Amino acid sequence: MRVSYETIGNYMFKKENILTKVKAGNWTEAIRIAGGLLESSGSITSKYTDAMIDAVKEMGPYMVILPHFALAHAAPSKEVLKDDFALITLEEPVLFGVPNDPVYIILALCAKDGKSHMDSLAKIAKVLMEENTIQEMIDAKTPQEILDITEKHLL
Amino acid sequence: MDKIKIQTVCGFGCGSSLFLRMKIEEVLKENNIKADVFCGDVGTCLSQPCDAIFISKDLYSRIEGRAKVTVVPIDNFMDKNEVATKTMDFFNGINKE
Repeated sequence: MRVSYETIGNYMFKKENILTKVKAGNWTEAIRIAGGLLESSGSITSKYTDAMIDAVKEMGPYMVILPHFALAHAAPSKEVLKDDFALITLEEPVLFGVPNDPVYIILALCAKDGKSHMDSLAKIAKVLMEENTIQEMIDAKTPQEILDITEKHLL
Repeated sequence: MDKIKIQTVCGFGCGSSLFLRMKIEEVLKENNIKADVFCGDVGTCLSQPCDAIFISKDLYSRIEGRAKVTVVPIDNFMDKNEVATKTMDFFNGINKE
């Protein structure tokens, strides 16, 4: 069975929320770029992007949950207008000062409440935890390739 | 014995704690253990009824010594070996009681 991109888009990534081979000088800049995609999609206000950066500073960099991969997010709040995800890959990695450095992929997540996005995030988590996904995403040259990788691992 | 409840905890209870929950569920399934695993946030996890709290090492100090249940700090949420060992240690510990 083929899952259409429209279907994936409903619970996964929208193509316009993906950027590949982005240039970012450090981790804060990288999170700002990912947050910027969510802002452009009308999913968050810029305050949420600030909150994602503060969260890493306050809570610690455990958010780099997989080698080369950071899950950026802040608490559900009124700065979130709708549940959404954005994903960027970096041309040159950034460092968070953790064993899972260097980080090439940032997944930014925003949720209106603690529960509504859980099913989508579980699907994304399942895809990411497949053995080759991270490396394939790092190598991807276009947002379409990211969607193809996601689709392949979902099935 | 009632079903054991494990709370996985991250900063906000809606991101990395889900990844940890899925890893623990994987381990439980492989070992034929039935338990409930649910996500929580560091701010409210102490008031949620559960039998154990699995929490990232970064956040452990925030609740250290204040929990009434077993608290298991995890270095790397995605390290299957670490999660499996600590999960099984917890369950083996309960069975001895």
